[in-house]
Amino acid sequence: MKALVVFPNKELLYAASTLGEVGALVFSDAEAAAVSGKASKVYVAAVDPRVPELVAEAAAKAASGYDVVLLPSTKNAKTVGGLLAQRLGAEFLTDVISLKAEGGVVKAERYVFGNKAVATVEAPTPVVVSIAPGRFQGEPPAVQSSVEKIQVDAAPKTKVVAVEEKAKGAVRLEEAEIIVSVGRGFKKKEDLQMAFELAKILGGQVGCSRPIAADLKWLPEEHWVGLSGKKVKPKLYLAIGISGQPQHIAGILDSRIIAAINSDPAAPIFQYADYGVVEDLYKIVPILINKLSKLKSA
Amino acid sequence: MCSREVSKLGEGIYLWMGEFSHMKIAVLVKTALDTGQLRVRDTVVVEETPLKISDIDRNAVEEAVKLKGQGQAYGVTVLKWGPLQKRVQEAENVLREALAMGLDEAYLVADEALLNASHVATAKAIAAVVKKVGADLVLAGEATVDNYTGQIPARVAAELEWPVITYARELKVEGGKVVAKRDLEDRVEVVEAPLPAVVSVTREINQPRIPTLLAIRAAMKKPVHKLTLSDLGISLDVKAKASYKPVVIQRKRVIIKDGTPEEKAEKLIQYLRQEGVI
Repeated sequence: MKALVVFPNKELLYAASTLGEVGALVFSDAEAAAVSGKASKVYVAAVDPRVPELVAEAAAKAASGYDVVLLPSTKNAKTVGGLLAQRLGAEFLTDVISLKAEGGVVKAERYVFGNKAVATVEAPTPVVVSIAPGRFQGEPPAVQSSVEKIQVDAAPKTKVVAVEEKAKGAVRLEEAEIIVSVGRGFKKKEDLQMAFELAKILGGQVGCSRPIAADLKWLPEEHWVGLSGKKVKPKLYLAIGISGQPQHIAGILDSRIIAAINSDPAAPIFQYADYGVVEDLYKIVPILINKLSKLKSA
Repeated sequence: MCSREVSKLGEGIYLWMGEFSHMKIAVLVKTALDTGQLRVRDTVVVEETPLKISDIDRNAVEEAVKLKGQGQAYGVTVLKWGPLQKRVQEAENVLREALAMGLDEAYLVADEALLNASHVATAKAIAAVVKKVGADLVLAGEATVDNYTGQIPARVAAELEWPVITYARELKVEGGKVVAKRDLEDRVEVVEAPLPAVVSVTREINQPRIPTLLAIRAAMKKPVHKLTLSDLGISLDVKAKASYKPVVIQRKRVIIKDGTPEEKAEKLIQYLRQEGVI
């Protein structure tokens, strides 16, 4: 099979190489240089990569002769994927965790139903696929590259009139080994300090449930764990004052150990926890801070 | 097509300038599998799992009701999960919820050919309804809670050959165009597009209203039009091939509820040390 990668990165190029011959679509000469030697064919389209309709237009042109178009699982790339797939009359398999070609069809697995099930999907080619991050780790083989320009004449209907970069902190929850996560059980923003202190003692990071980031805005979105936030896989996930809505649980299923502190014995989080403590967080967290800091400094 | 200006005055308050809006808005409402009530044996038994409105579609409905002014807003549902007979009634109940929130009417496309259909086919069926009924704007949730692929809004836009703006967390319509704040991972873009357009919204865009009892009663009288593919004058028969296996997670579910806070803390630390995670 031949696979075309749009918005290439190492994981995508590797995933594509497991299917067969690799092409890559990029949007500047600098990007073309970066991908040289990792894709047999490099297509350069001088379009604004922020505008999905333009990227889809370029991809539709480059994709002729390819069986699979591979994209990252970012929101912008998924928008491109939807547009492109409908034009090609193709299926679009999003956030796949595995991918293989078998007898002319593509087979992939993805989490569905709030991450409570794994779907095995099969699609004929051509097919568009976006891959989940962290699942395709490997070195794309070195190849001879040739470069081809793609001409896109279409005038876009959508226009980006302003861009505001989001603040980037040092939070990388996806890689954290220990996450202390906070929810609505905290009564005011200042109280989150306790969680930060606990996380610091444990050498972990602070996560949060949706209301803390999205509604109350007590923490920036980079702390948000759940279906529309980050999906995490720490060795310890300590949920404090989090009730355990399905959307939150969907983000923490890959954790090795889940511990929960909640004053409500009926909180759903206890169904999903290895260790659940029924207690007022305002009473127990200071004790944990005290005991653990002694343990850690001993 | 409408022409009007809206400016936002803080949270959820809109100031209307000039004539009232007469926009016609289609809202995509998915009757999704209720993932909180999955029926599971060796595989997920889709046919026995109840349906509910996909959560984020409530935000799309809310936004439509706010934007329509003196115009009209209708729901569009393509039934994906079978069995057909049983699901039609369930889907109608789901649509009544959206009607109670303020939609004027709803279109339910129920056809054997669309059960477990490919996304290509689903998008074609939705676009066919929008073409038949007409719209200046199509609103949808950013993704649906069961499959969470988020691809339908872009597909419907491609099918209609309309512009699409995805992941909008703020939206206004002015002078025949739509302006939205597009909420992406690392940046927020302000994007504009001429009407007619397709826009998908995030949960942050608004707080969906809880319908009053009166509104719920009124919704019982609003029309739910049932359509088949032949009513839409199209034929599609492309099925998706998928099987669903439950993810089995065995959690220990040890509950520590007796003793003083001091004792409970001590116990928790003990367990976590035994596990070797702290």
